Amino acid sequence: MKSSTRFLAFAPVLALAVLGMTACGRKSDSGASANGSSGPVEIKFLHKWPQPVNMAYFEGVVKAFETANPNIKIKMEAVADEPIKDKLRVLMGSDSQPDIYFSWSGEFAKKFVSSSNAFDLTEALNADPGWKDSIMKAGLEPFTFNNKNYGIPLRINGKFFVYNKTLFAKYKLSEPQTWDQFMSTCETLKKNGVVPIAFGNITPWAACHYLTGLNQKWVPQEVREKDYDPKNGEFTDPGYIKALQYFKNLNDKGYFNKGVNSTEHNMMVETFAQGKQAMMYVELEEFQDVNTKMAGKPWGFFPLPSIENAPGNQKFLTGAPDGFMVSAKTKHPQEAIAFLKFLTNKENSAKLVSTLGWPSPVIGAVNSSNAPDFLVKGMEAIQKAEGMALWLDTDINIKISDIYLPDLQELLNGKKTPQQIMKEVQDAARQVASETK
Amino acid sequence: MTAEEDSPFRRQEGTSLRSNQNRSLILLYILPALLLMTSFIYYPLVQNFIYSFYRWSAFSSSKVFIAFDNYKRLFLDPVFYIAVKNNVLYALVSVLCQCGIGLIIAAALEEKFLRRYQGFFRTVYFIPAVISMTVIGLLWQLIYNPNIGIVNAMLDLLKLGRFAHEWLGDSNTAIYAIILVSQWQYTGYIMLLYLVAMQKIPAELYESARIDGAGPTRCFFSITIPQIKEMIVVCTVITIIGSFKLFDEIYVMTAGGPGRSTEVLATAMYRSGFRNDEMGYAAAFAVVLFLITFIFTLIQLKVSRTSEE
Repeated sequence: MKSSTRFLAFAPVLALAVLGMTACGRKSDSGASANGSSGPVEIKFLHKWPQPVNMAYFEGVVKAFETANPNIKIKMEAVADEPIKDKLRVLMGSDSQPDIYFSWSGEFAKKFVSSSNAFDLTEALNADPGWKDSIMKAGLEPFTFNNKNYGIPLRINGKFFVYNKTLFAKYKLSEPQTWDQFMSTCETLKKNGVVPIAFGNITPWAACHYLTGLNQKWVPQEVREKDYDPKNGEFTDPGYIKALQYFKNLNDKGYFNKGVNSTEHNMMVETFAQGKQAMMYVELEEFQDVNTKMAGKPWGFFPLPSIENAPGNQKFLTGAPDGFMVSAKTKHPQEAIAFLKFLTNKENSAKLVSTLGWPSPVIGAVNSSNAPDFLVKGMEAIQKAEGMALWLDTDINIKISDIYLPDLQELLNGKKTPQQIMKEVQDAARQVASETK
Repeated sequence: MTAEEDSPFRRQEGTSLRSNQNRSLILLYILPALLLMTSFIYYPLVQNFIYSFYRWSAFSSSKVFIAFDNYKRLFLDPVFYIAVKNNVLYALVSVLCQCGIGLIIAAALEEKFLRRYQGFFRTVYFIPAVISMTVIGLLWQLIYNPNIGIVNAMLDLLKLGRFAHEWLGDSNTAIYAIILVSQWQYTGYIMLLYLVAMQKIPAELYESARIDGAGPTRCFFSITIPQIKEMIVVCTVITIIGSFKLFDEIYVMTAGGPGRSTEVLATAMYRSGFRNDEMGYAAAFAVVLFLITFIFTLIQLKVSRTSEE
């Protein structure tokens, strides 16, 4: 009697323990089969396009790859644009790194390189010249550090002003080539009661894209390159202040819609498409979306106009490639590279263009047979540009961009002057430089 | 501990089982929970304290011991003070609004003439509390939108157009706009807690008070409030702790902007840890956050214990 009650008392505890053990056991079982020599090799693949339309494309590619390579299994995971920034940072500190992971180019990628989390792909690229030469230089270059390549671009993106052709024709306007023409275009529109530019800056990357181009145009190339390098950033060139003033001027003159700091970028795409504003600064990858929303109404695009007498190269374009890097901790680099090769081969790149309308850096992937006219022309503009100004927030150290970006909202609100902002940026740059040295 | 005194093991003492056997049995029973708590709560807590003395980023293995430098920097960081100010502001408004107005609404619903419709009002006021914060955040972002939002449109309609404003986009008003959303969301929840407490008050108390000539206001102050005193304190403390743990509202609606004007402790911690890769600095934020919530939790525990006795 006594012992049976005791047993009854222990039973739940025992049950729990047994359950725990079996759960653990099962886990290690599956782990062994994944890494074992007999079973297929598992490659973890992390990207940032969880939207159903985009997932369908990637699922298709993964399936085709697995059919062609039955010994490799791709375990795909997707996290949206904002959360992936955090997820990547957390994953890099753990042992469960994905074998292939998404990354923006520039400083964002460089951080993975300098913390020895990125696999050197130079050898793999050199071993297969056909693959290497099929990708645009402008796509590979921003993933190259110390002459070594660490990333394969999936897309190449540029930033352009799209404009409503109906409104432009109504007020006899043409695509502005210079900043002065741009300002007078805005003025004409405003006088006629049309809000010139649609702008949503509740998350300040939107303002940062304007500043990316303006900084590039206002600051001499070598000075900017030196400043953007965390080791010796100073940001003392007067061009930075000029850039901020030019940007602020657009707001002060009333060329943006009301409430820029409390409006979403996507919402403004909608209102632009409804014809409420005449222009909007968007990425090449958004062209498809703009085209759908315009629903047949004519629209065109032009790059950020050049600024007379500004010391930067006026033939640069704002934009950057993004793509994939391979983890330095991966146990199967060859398999991971094989998948990347498959993902960026001409066939899949052409499919990327035709199904998703994304600009691919694979030469010839965007052509008039598979891509709408606007995409072909956008790619031409990228190829014609003498260089790319990478997104400011991924091109400078995160601690500096953490000061720079929120301050852009304060600039628009009139709470901070360009001089105050640059002072704060300089202080942050000094601190970052002292920490990285 | 009161729980131990009430336990069946205590009552069985001296009958069939001996007390030291009971003790090991009790220990055995709490062991799984204790192990889970230790590995998922207490161990990370201690680790966090230790981490706050280092400079390190999530994906590099090197940690530099810098003693109290993270704390020194924290107390010189203007963002820290903005965050504390916003948390305190949030707590103050929430206590006044949720615990104050919630109480008034609850008392009104308990009045005889409204009691018949209480179910309806209870549901209506409570619904916002069960909607996901992300949905609410996006909804209110639209409501506040200066171009298509209903707030400014209503002001225009009421000939109050001069008060129309860029609510979330102006650093002077953004934090108040966010605080208001939380009041809208949680007043109903606190009201429900009060209602539960009020329904436990014996009806005879009100009857005899009424016979003695007390009006509804007198009844409210002399019967309702003293009878639900503990619930009021508990609600207040819950609200204050919630205010310091605040994160999602801010993250969804403004992400700390414009500038840094709506930053709170939790978002500042998140930003330094997961955006700026300063895990040590984020740990220092976490320690401060922990200390604040810990103090209020102690108060809450003390209060709820007095109510048990």
